[in-house]
Amino acid sequence: MATAAAGPGSIPLTLEKVSVSYGERSAVQELSLTVQPGEIYGLLGSNGAGKTSTIKAIVGLVRPVAGEIRVFGQDAIRDSLSVKARIGYVPETSMLYEALTPREFLEFVASVRRMDATTATRRMQSYAEAFRLGSELEEPIATLSNGTRQKVLIIAALLHAPPLLVLDEPLNSLDPRSVRIMKEVLQRYVGSGDHGVLFSTHTMEVAEQLCQRVGILDRGVLRGEGTLATLRGRVAAGDVSLEEIFLRLTEEDVGVRAAVDSLGNSSV
Amino acid sequence: MSWKDAIQVSNVAFTELSLQAVFAFRQGNVLPPGSSKNLVARSRRRVLQSKVVISFVLAFLTLGAAAIIHQKTLNPEILSSVPAGLFQSAVLTGLLSLDIALLWWTGVQVVPTLISSGVLSVLEPLPIDGRTLHRVAGILYLRLFDFPAITVLVLTPIAVGLALGPLAGIAAFPGALVAVVYALALSLLTGRFFLRRVQGSRGGGGRTVVRWAYLVLWLVPAFAMFAFITAAPAFFSALASLSTQGPSLAGALLAAAFPFSFAALPAISAGGTSSVAILSPTIDLVLSAAVVGYLALALWSVIWLAGSVRTLLYLPVRNAVAFPTRPAPLRAMGNARAVLTKDLRIASRTPGYAFLILLPILDAAALGLLTYATPAQNPVTSSLALGAVTTAALLATFFGPAFFAIEVVAYSYGRTLPLSNRSVILGKVSLIAIMYLLGAALILGFTLLRFFAPFTFGAFVLAELPAVVAAAFLELGLLFRWARRKGLAITNLYTGAWFAVLVSVPGLIFAGLPPLVFNLAQPSGLDLGLGLMALVAAAELALATPIAFGRGAS
Repeated sequence: MATAAAGPGSIPLTLEKVSVSYGERSAVQELSLTVQPGEIYGLLGSNGAGKTSTIKAIVGLVRPVAGEIRVFGQDAIRDSLSVKARIGYVPETSMLYEALTPREFLEFVASVRRMDATTATRRMQSYAEAFRLGSELEEPIATLSNGTRQKVLIIAALLHAPPLLVLDEPLNSLDPRSVRIMKEVLQRYVGSGDHGVLFSTHTMEVAEQLCQRVGILDRGVLRGEGTLATLRGRVAAGDVSLEEIFLRLTEEDVGVRAAVDSLGNSSV
Repeated sequence: MSWKDAIQVSNVAFTELSLQAVFAFRQGNVLPPGSSKNLVARSRRRVLQSKVVISFVLAFLTLGAAAIIHQKTLNPEILSSVPAGLFQSAVLTGLLSLDIALLWWTGVQVVPTLISSGVLSVLEPLPIDGRTLHRVAGILYLRLFDFPAITVLVLTPIAVGLALGPLAGIAAFPGALVAVVYALALSLLTGRFFLRRVQGSRGGGGRTVVRWAYLVLWLVPAFAMFAFITAAPAFFSALASLSTQGPSLAGALLAAAFPFSFAALPAISAGGTSSVAILSPTIDLVLSAAVVGYLALALWSVIWLAGSVRTLLYLPVRNAVAFPTRPAPLRAMGNARAVLTKDLRIASRTPGYAFLILLPILDAAALGLLTYATPAQNPVTSSLALGAVTTAALLATFFGPAFFAIEVVAYSYGRTLPLSNRSVILGKVSLIAIMYLLGAALILGFTLLRFFAPFTFGAFVLAELPAVVAAAFLELGLLFRWARRKGLAITNLYTGAWFAVLVSVPGLIFAGLPPLVFNLAQPSGLDLGLGLMALVAAAELALATPIAFGRGAS
């Protein structure tokens, strides 16, 4: 759980006024957030809200135009290699070396992460069994289904037991059994108290079940942040769902009603 | 839906294909900043440029062949032992073979891109009837080859017509048409085959060997030009001998062989059957039957292409496999070795990359054999061996762009790993140095018994090594700087040929300069030549290292 007196070197992730732009288009504006030790932080937002851009900036795929990103106190740009060594990343799209088999891919990842062969093999075998990956590990990635690719990406992210996990819609394409396993894994993962998880999703139920705190992104701006109780307080609502809070904070609740009304009976 | 609808749909699909091929965002590449309109225009332009390059090469070959034929017509004393008609047929045989080889090679490069892009899978669930989808698939497939194919179909009759007269020009058209049809059919057939058996091959040591064996076959079309040029003197010599025999069984076999049967048609149109010398009334019949047979095969190929192109352009997805199977243990490697192993594994399932790796080795083997076949006492033997090493070094300079292209695959994921550009470049340069040394060892192996100065040979190989490494540093350094700035992908022939060629030019200069210095200085003494060569190579290495590892590269 969140540690109030943690020093900067023990804070898994800090974003300070981070802005990301693609040419003229601004994707994220002055975003500040912190993932505390032992915390699963959910980054919520509609499509195009800036979740993936934020995550790409954290893992070094996009250079922020302003602001500072720190991972366990280290600057993500200046100390990029050291920061990357402490992050496990699951991208939104399954971008993998299509011509490799999952085992060959994991061997490459384990080697680059300087893992010893015994530990890497043990972890790969454990996760493969958990996710029911059998001989798929020896098939070229190009021939695998989206769900299997996603499992491979998750194993690659967990293989070196990183202290910070950055997951962009990690449950997409997974079957219900694997979703349940993944949820359990994440909860145990932060149970040690010093690891952190940044988790992006637009599935409110998942965020509600998993995350200690959530941040609501809307058009690149953080509209609200905190525990479910804090956010309920902000929208001055009683026992409402996270979905309702989300819609109110992003001011989409009225829009949703209007959209449904405008459909009328034409969609039925 | 009509043909007009099919063309409209295929326009959208081709735009998507171009965008994916050029920017590789399905592999996670981040699109460069700019409006989507500009990005689409840029990707279309780059695909067009690449087609123009291939068309230009085909046009050069066609006009070159016509010029050779024209020269022989003006000066019959050129290769006077070969009759004019037979000479013309032989040159056109070479041209048609090269047309097929180049179009086929283009096809095997781009067909996997078309299949893996999934553009047709997107169309399948839409309310578009099956016939229109067939048409869309056909149009998309034809558009991969449009300019190169049109170049062959239009320029061949015109060029032959200018060299031998209008009737011969018209007679050249069936050969050009059949060559294009065969190349398109072979591209689809082999593209699909390699996706299944090479790209889709499972892991494991034994399978890797099988994959590399398949990939040697893949080299056949690309090696055709080299083989044809190398074998041309022997071919003409055989033709001269054949023409003195008059009609014979060998002549009949030649008349029945593709593409000679079509290549002989313009010569017959221009000078009659007697000009081809090997023909007789019986062999005329063989030739006619062969032409009809090949035309029938071409027609069947067109029907097969039209019927199967839609189904064959889908990526084969494996069914679920048995569980549980305990995976083989992982091996731990250093960063540079991990990059090297990954590259070799990717290349073993990606014909385009494998081609570049195998070419210098096959070339070294071929040139080594040639050296072996030359008498030991012949003064050119040593030059041949050293020339073979130089060729291997020059060919190794194409590795830089190829291995960079491998890095572009899953570019985004690679960039999230704690892997410095220094490690990546070192891994790739080690592989390039190994391939060069392997080529040199092959040549040495072939020539050891005949070549009596292995130490000179060894000194030459080692003196050239820093130049090969320098060329690789230079190319990879430039490419990584460029990628850092643009984030653009080089994935195949149609997407980044220009930049790969541009970067290869300084690489070729770096690899070629030391042997040139050796040749200039050698008359003053072998030791001086080798010393100066080593000095130049070392200076190049000193110059290229900061480009690879200096500020802005890593």
